[in-house]
Amino acid sequence: MSLLPRLALRQLRSQLRTTEWRALLLATWIAITLTTLLTLLGDRLERGLLRESANLLGADLVLSSSRPLDNDRLASIATQDVQTTRVVQFPSMISDPASTETPPMLVSVRAADTPYPLRGEIVTQPVQNQALPDKGEAWVEARILEQLELEIGDLLQLGYSQFRISAELISSPDRGSGFRSFSPQLLINRSDLDASGVLAPGSRANFRLLMAGSPEQIAALEAELDPTLADYERLLSLRLDQPLTGNTLGNALAYLKLAALTALLLSALTILLSLRRFSQKQYTRSALLLNLGLNSEQLLRIYLYQLLIAWGALALLGLASAASLDSLVQGWLSTLLPQQLPDATPLAWLSGPALGLVMLILLGLPPILSLSRVPVAHLLRGDTPPQDRRARLLQISCVLLLALTLLLFLRAPIAALILLALLLVGGVLFGYIAQAILTRVAEPLARRLLLGRLLRLRLRQQRRWHRLQSAVIVLLLTLLAVVWISRADLLSEWRAKFPTDTPNYFVINIQPWQRSDLDSFMQANAIDSALYPMIRGRLNQLNGKPIRPQLTPDQLGDNTLRRELNLSWALNKPEHNELLNGSWWSSTPEQPQISVEQDMMEDLGLKLGDRLGFDIGGQQVDAEITSIRGVEWTSFRPNFYVIFSPGALESYPSTWITSFRLEGERKRLATEMLQQFPSLTLVDIDQLLSQLATWLKRLGDSSAMVLGLTLVCGLILMAVTLLQALEQRRFEAALMQTLGASGEQTRRLDLLEFLLLGLVCGLLAGLSAELTLAGLHLALLDVDPKLHPWLWVTLPALSSAFFVLTGFLIRRPLQLDQCYRLLRSQS
Amino acid sequence: MDQSTLSPTMIEAQALSKHFDTEAGRVDLFTGIDLVVTRGESLAVIGRSGAGKSTLLSLLAGLDTPSSGSVSIDGHRIETLDDRQRADLRARKISFIFQSFHLLPELTALDNVRLPLEIRGAENPKHDARQWLDEVGLGERTDHYPSQLSGGEQQRVAIARAFATRPSLLFADEPTGNLDEETGRTIIDQLFRLNAQQGTTLILITHDSELAMRCQRRLRLHNGALTEV
Ligand SMILES: Nc1ncnc2c1ncn2[C@@H]1O[C@H](COP(=O)(O)OP(=O)(O)O)[C@@H](O)[C@H]1O
Ligand SMILES: [Mg+2]
Repeated sequence: MSLLPRLALRQLRSQLRTTEWRALLLATWIAITLTTLLTLLGDRLERGLLRESANLLGADLVLSSSRPLDNDRLASIATQDVQTTRVVQFPSMISDPASTETPPMLVSVRAADTPYPLRGEIVTQPVQNQALPDKGEAWVEARILEQLELEIGDLLQLGYSQFRISAELISSPDRGSGFRSFSPQLLINRSDLDASGVLAPGSRANFRLLMAGSPEQIAALEAELDPTLADYERLLSLRLDQPLTGNTLGNALAYLKLAALTALLLSALTILLSLRRFSQKQYTRSALLLNLGLNSEQLLRIYLYQLLIAWGALALLGLASAASLDSLVQGWLSTLLPQQLPDATPLAWLSGPALGLVMLILLGLPPILSLSRVPVAHLLRGDTPPQDRRARLLQISCVLLLALTLLLFLRAPIAALILLALLLVGGVLFGYIAQAILTRVAEPLARRLLLGRLLRLRLRQQRRWHRLQSAVIVLLLTLLAVVWISRADLLSEWRAKFPTDTPNYFVINIQPWQRSDLDSFMQANAIDSALYPMIRGRLNQLNGKPIRPQLTPDQLGDNTLRRELNLSWALNKPEHNELLNGSWWSSTPEQPQISVEQDMMEDLGLKLGDRLGFDIGGQQVDAEITSIRGVEWTSFRPNFYVIFSPGALESYPSTWITSFRLEGERKRLATEMLQQFPSLTLVDIDQLLSQLATWLKRLGDSSAMVLGLTLVCGLILMAVTLLQALEQRRFEAALMQTLGASGEQTRRLDLLEFLLLGLVCGLLAGLSAELTLAGLHLALLDVDPKLHPWLWVTLPALSSAFFVLTGFLIRRPLQLDQCYRLLRSQS
Repeated sequence: MDQSTLSPTMIEAQALSKHFDTEAGRVDLFTGIDLVVTRGESLAVIGRSGAGKSTLLSLLAGLDTPSSGSVSIDGHRIETLDDRQRADLRARKISFIFQSFHLLPELTALDNVRLPLEIRGAENPKHDARQWLDEVGLGERTDHYPSQLSGGEQQRVAIARAFATRPSLLFADEPTGNLDEETGRTIIDQLFRLNAQQGTTLILITHDSELAMRCQRRLRLHNGALTEV
């Protein structure tokens, strides 16, 4: 090996023992690992879900509708030379016909025609040689087998029909979007659907037409269909902006990346400070090497080699750790994915090492450049010349460049920028607040204790480091507390907020002829519930004229106009609605009257006495607003924007809906109800929520991992900041000891300083965590924020312990004989 | 070899001044110093601490630029050279010995001496370095690290390192400043022995007048003026 790399290697090896290099290496390692991990995940998700979304969709183009597909339209598409197939998907409860013990399970049923799917393939266990279950058979996902304790070959009950489970569904395209994709899935042949009776006319379900053909055909078809779409229809295609499962995961990934930003920033700060300290310590050495005959280019090369060697080793290490974390995360996410993710592109593996290199070079170049220009005369005088303007300018532009690189890497520049600004502003703010509090607290201490006076001096001397340390610790602890609490709390708090009589079952798709039987079933079993009819209609007139021209652009975007409304009628006001204004009809009025929900009144600027017109199945129905209702939308009861007086809507086709609560033993009534009325769609809300909770927990686990790494970054950074001031602290301690203080006193001073710092930081973190959580509660859940008293104990304790521990680990106690030496070498 | 090698003058300083602009105002360290050092001569600069000896040395070695005046080393006018040329001149002709030894801690004694030879691309650096360590009486300690050597031994390694490149000009800034008297004396013996043996031009800074007596010439830096003693 030639001289320069050898010197670099030697230098690196001897510096591995210094804390600043260890910190630098650790920080870089974490940065490389995190970056690689997230890029790998992102790349595979993107390739697996978006680029190959033909497989995900199961087709090239999908027409998705909340109503049965229009026959005219089907006919017109049939004339085109594209392949088509039809799918219906809906929620339903299924049960084990052989057992009355196991409660029914909420699943998402997919009934498809052959050929299915048109793109991608269904993977089953055992492998099947056709793409769809035969008549009378069903393929189910593992979760169904587990929960119902069924095995391949067993029967399951869906509606009136029983199906033999012929295979386990490992992965399949066309899972549907939103809740449909979270629920365990069941696949049957569409020819079995009618017999099961679960899907009567007017039932709520998602009806899809899958289409496949040449790109030109598909483009033409898409262009043709797009303008004719009704508002209950959507076209899903290969374009990336579609609401696929991929988007939910994509959002999750974006969230993870933002979480990683903090870790990357902390790493960058650690690297910056480590290199700064490194270059300070290298001053004499550089001057010496220059004096021995190296020129500054050679010296620069030595330091660059050193960084590169370190980087090379870390890149390998980082790739290895990223690969193992990647398989961990994949394990967590696998049940949520429609199919096995493809391997990442080789390029994705490069991102982490590349970012690590950029970080090291950009942060390393300024100190290294100034190192290579040290005047040799430094050896004679021992002074450190001040940094010149150009060096500072270089440093600032390098840091900015790095920030830009990070933003680009995260691919969500706006969100990242906001987060960056938030962190910076928050950090500066917390730093100054913490320092102000510390100074305030030290005053009374100074009046009472000798140690207090020394503390005052110490605080003044260390103020810059204290600001940085408190900023980092407060932000970290806030993050930790918020993620920890929201992970466990948010969903359970949201659930706990509902009164104990909140319904936990919904029944939908009740056909008019089933009403009276169902009513008697309810009464016989003392189930407290009320049935409401549902008719779909579109609001199109206000006071006899088209409504759209009468509204502001803002109002035109309102939910109530964008889609069809669920309308209902009732003789009596629903008990769970509050009458806010006007009066409720006492009998069937001559002219139709309506009661409108309060928010809709406000949003559309309506007033009592206005007349609203609805298009219901092509017919116009007009009614006067005679009352305003307050509706608790999250009550898990049937709720409607508009309720008609009796007599106006009875002639239109309707289905009925109800909800009720069953607890403990009485949950068996749900099973009985399904047995007696197999075609009803019963939705178990508890099951629905726990399916959601599982999903949130997986996401939580993944982000906890990123957070854990962030925390490690924070700890390393703290160690480095404490180390920066260590020389000064040692010198000060030595001075104090020679001036008559005992070693015990200087130790107590350190203890007091760290305890106080930790306490203040912990309290500030508690405050900011409570504020953040309160914000989250209000904004996301509409739940009254509550205090978390244990936070106010744990956080200060945690941060004090942390400061004291790191402080004492780094700063070994000073012996008196060392003091003199230290003082001599400083003079 | 350039023709300057033939000239009897090793260093020539003319009207050399140095001042610093500090926050408290301008500090004139010295003004109008003239000095000629002939080839092979040994010269001691004495003076109180803070008199400006080290600063003068760094000017004479071309490590620093004077506020006014000029310095020539072996016929090269320092102010006409750029940084690279100065570094090159130093590499070819000049060695230093410092008060605090300045060895690289992660290199053995042998590697410390070898380093400047390797930097210059010498033929047989390992052999030469070993020879020079023998010369200063550390032949047995070649594989020891600086931390395993006493102060005097470290300074001997530094002397071996300084002579290994066969400089024509050697600057020593208080080489015994960190050593006890006894050790200091043996170090100085060695320094003068090698100096005589190699015919090196030696500029030695010290505040020890006994040590200064061993040089052929002595100059005192006092109140900004250089006077022969
Ligand atoms: N860059 C500088 N700026 C200001 N003052 C300096 C600088 N370099 C040296 N000095 C001052 O010049 C004086 C002489 O320093 P030095 O040459 O090291 O003295 P000596 O080696 O004789 O002890 C000292 O008072 C020192 O503080
Ligand atoms: Mg000096």
